Amino acid sequence: MSQVQDTVFAIIAKEANIDASKVTLDSTLKDLEITSLDAVQIIFEIEDHYKITMPDRDPNFDTNSVRGLVEAVEKLVAEKAAGDAPAAQG
Amino acid sequence: MPPPRRAESGHKKTTVHSQRRVAITGMGAITALGHTATATWAAMREGRSGIGPIENIETDQLNVKIAAEVRGFDPAAHIDAKRLPLLDRVSQFALIAAREAVAQSGLDFRSDGRGERSACLVGSGIGGENSHNEQSRRFFAEKNPRMHPLTIIRVMANAPACHIGIEFGLSGPTFAVVSACASANHAMSQAADMIRSGKVDFAVTGGSEACVTVTVMKAWEAMRVTADDTCRPFCKQRRGMVLGEGAGIFVFEEWEHAKARGATILAEFAGSGMTADAADMVFPAEVTVARAMQNALADGGLNPEDIGYINAHGTATPANDPTETKAIRRTFGTHADALAVSSTKSMHGHALGAAGALEMVAAIGALRHGILPPTMNFLDPDPACDLDYVPNAAREKAVRAVLSNSFAFGGLNSVVALKKAD
Repeated sequence: MSQVQDTVFAIIAKEANIDASKVTLDSTLKDLEITSLDAVQIIFEIEDHYKITMPDRDPNFDTNSVRGLVEAVEKLVAEKAAGDAPAAQG
Repeated sequence: MPPPRRAESGHKKTTVHSQRRVAITGMGAITALGHTATATWAAMREGRSGIGPIENIETDQLNVKIAAEVRGFDPAAHIDAKRLPLLDRVSQFALIAAREAVAQSGLDFRSDGRGERSACLVGSGIGGENSHNEQSRRFFAEKNPRMHPLTIIRVMANAPACHIGIEFGLSGPTFAVVSACASANHAMSQAADMIRSGKVDFAVTGGSEACVTVTVMKAWEAMRVTADDTCRPFCKQRRGMVLGEGAGIFVFEEWEHAKARGATILAEFAGSGMTADAADMVFPAEVTVARAMQNALADGGLNPEDIGYINAHGTATPANDPTETKAIRRTFGTHADALAVSSTKSMHGHALGAAGALEMVAAIGALRHGILPPTMNFLDPDPACDLDYVPNAAREKAVRAVLSNSFAFGGLNSVVALKKAD
């Protein structure tokens, strides 16, 4: 389990008030009975944690499934690390 | 004037028709479509959209950089320099719209004791947001320890109603109604009920909102319900709402008084229906939304078949549009297919607490001119939204009665019914 996956699972469990063991990569937010209001809070917590901006209804990202969320976060975190590298040295 | 008749209360669902009726004798507005109700209606019938790139605020921190702003507006041209510091943008809008409405009504509230028999009820979802934002910025970002001494009276949500009252000498019941996106409809419903009950004979009422600020835009972005392209209600490609701003203010008058003085009656405020879902803070509930429409019909003494047009709430969010469609079907049965339904938010944006007031301009226009304003920016139909949405062009069609829907976060539903003035 990647660290991003760990963190995303933990955020989902906390915001949706469900047991972390229930969250799997194959779950959809619907399976987990996550309401739209919970979903925007999950996205906010992820964004705030990683200081990234999650795409809004971008067809290239599937943010309705846990796997899609984790992959989107991993991609954005990697992009941010690549972009921030020179600045970090300064 | 006939004496007021009080509604009987009881557990049985009964319809009580007050003898006192409500005439709308003045209309004013300032919107992204124009600085008057006349200009706003002209744009609606032409299908012109006021949605565009944001001009009035910094956009570097915004992901969504469009809104339906009131553009080219110079408050100093309307309000004298001594008074202007007292008014947030939300009160400026309200005052300017009220002036147009009162001028059209031809009423002098300062004579014959009219002011004492007048209510002033103005809805606003947020209040003086621009002043709040600006003072917070100075305090937190610039570490400026001094707050402007007029901050409180600029920010308070009742300020728009009070400025109108002061301008015209309205000394009856005066307050703000705050119910997010249903504020204006709730305010106007309350004003009409006060006239019907005999509590007052006149009301200056509507809604005002000046919500296009960086923090409000960001807060809406965070909810992921705002569109970054444009507002496309009821169609398959809709991506959410686009914020708007402005005010709509109306003069309501006891019917016989308006008749007796030979006033031009723009429409009759026939009735209202108000319900709460009491279920979810954001997801609308079909049954209680429908019940608000049913209650408005009953309160207005109207049958479903009397309604020719509905100005929909139509925010263009994934949740609202199919739920509103189902609620219309539930209310109107087979007549739903004979109805025209449009969302003028595609043109003036979603002005939150002023929404119902801007849409009242559309509803009155439809009744008076027999022209149904369109749902603009409509691409392909969504199977979940299967009504006649008057896509992309206004339509000539005489209608006798209309509904105007407003639904708010918190699960609040407020529907008004208007009839053509006879």
